[in-house]
Amino acid sequence: MAASLWEHFFKPASGDPTVENVLRDNVLFQDLNARQIRFVRNIVHLRRYRQTERIFRQGETGAGMYIILKGKVAITVNGSTSEPGTAAGDIQIANLQPGDFFGELALVEDASRRSADARALEETELIGFFKPDLLEVLERNPAAGVRITMRLGQVLGRRLRQTTDRLAALEDEHRQKALKTVEPSS
Amino acid sequence: MTATRAIARERTIQIAAVSGLVVLCALIVAAIDTVLISFVLAFVIHYLLAPAVNAAERSGLSRKLAVAALYVLFSTAFAAGVYLLLPAIARQLASLQTELPVLIEGTTQILARSERWVNSAMSGITDLDFSMDAGQRLASLSGRIVAGLPLFFSTLISVLILSPFFAFFMLLDGQAAVKKLMAMVPNHLFEPALTLLHRMNVQLGGFIRARLLEAGIVGAVVWLGLAAIGYPYSLLLGIFAGLMNLIPYLGPVIGALPALVIGTVIGVPGWKLWMVAGVYVTAQLVDMLFIIPLIVARIINLHPVAVVIVIIVGAQLAGIVGMVISIPVACVLKLFTTSIYEHLVVYQR
Repeated sequence: MAASLWEHFFKPASGDPTVENVLRDNVLFQDLNARQIRFVRNIVHLRRYRQTERIFRQGETGAGMYIILKGKVAITVNGSTSEPGTAAGDIQIANLQPGDFFGELALVEDASRRSADARALEETELIGFFKPDLLEVLERNPAAGVRITMRLGQVLGRRLRQTTDRLAALEDEHRQKALKTVEPSS
Repeated sequence: MTATRAIARERTIQIAAVSGLVVLCALIVAAIDTVLISFVLAFVIHYLLAPAVNAAERSGLSRKLAVAALYVLFSTAFAAGVYLLLPAIARQLASLQTELPVLIEGTTQILARSERWVNSAMSGITDLDFSMDAGQRLASLSGRIVAGLPLFFSTLISVLILSPFFAFFMLLDGQAAVKKLMAMVPNHLFEPALTLLHRMNVQLGGFIRARLLEAGIVGAVVWLGLAAIGYPYSLLLGIFAGLMNLIPYLGPVIGALPALVIGTVIGVPGWKLWMVAGVYVTAQLVDMLFIIPLIVARIINLHPVAVVIVIIVGAQLAGIVGMVISIPVACVLKLFTTSIYEHLVVYQR
């Protein structure tokens, strides 16, 4: 109660988002009630990164996901071409803003390897939610844990469907190209 | 380039701060014997009670209330256990004290007979001479034990007060304290460190709970078995067997020796000695057929040869305590090196 009053009447002048607010707005935690959000708030980790500091590297083992509290994060993969503002040979696949999250596959996969690089583009604050944290939530507050896991399943399912659609589109594109190459000779 | 240097400098400071803090705490704890023992025991209590606290929390209680309620419950159960068993332990200890000279004399004679038998069987090969001063040694050992009792009990009282106190706060605020320490870990090491800590926590917790359950069951089987056949000192021998069972492989043998020696010295009939042996064998069968395959084997991921080597090293470094703690320490070291190897080599490919 006192904490809530404090939050309403003495909000920080900067108007910076609070960890609770960012968690509440995140798809994984949106089904949790205020008490469960507070519970998760005490479990997650706050990490600060300097501009250009690497958050994780493609191929290394990952322990969990990050939600951006402040700052921006570039997600890049190793490729043959280079994009402006990235290292030579890297392809920037996403530029993430506060509230966005990444690395969630590591929450469920065993010894999950990161599929891309993540680097802070400016002074950045991240909320880290890792597999041991998810297990702790499931152990101590199963109701909250199940809600998070259900949402996590939905997110991963949606990502899988998007990948499948993209793959189908690429195959289709490839088939069209092949047909076009065959047509002039026939 | 400046940013990279600043990040590298920050990481070095963070690594130095975390390592320094951990080493300083370890040195302070290790410097004071009572605090060290209390801390080790507090960890054991913490790992024993953590699943029950989590279960109480799952039922809707706050963490504070869950810890407090369990403390009251377990303290009551412990006090009831002590109240029920203490008179029997005191009676058996008093009787043992009275018969100690006879037992020492009898043990010396057994040693002398064994020595003669070995020397005659292996004449020309070996010439054992260990029974000469065995009696004096046993007498001086028992004298030292009696002389050290006041110090032992004062330490015991400090430990019995301090360890539940430490364990209470470990259960209540342990995770917050670990989180604060983890906040100091540099970003590039954070994920491996968190994973390692989680694995260590799971393995140590499982190991301590399994070993104590194992010791408790073996101790209870020996106590009830010996009491059923009307053997003297059944409770003391049960407690001793349970405690010795914490030492892998050698523990069961050490645990059974006093019962057989006492039986031989006081002239227990042969058939009864066989029954005593049967009780210890039954306890070990229960342990080997049910407890080890179902609980312990899942937790210890060490080859039997490695286990034996680790116990020998533990015994060389720290005697009986070293033998007891050698396996969990080896498991933690194995996890530590595996995690570092995975982080530095396997997952960087």
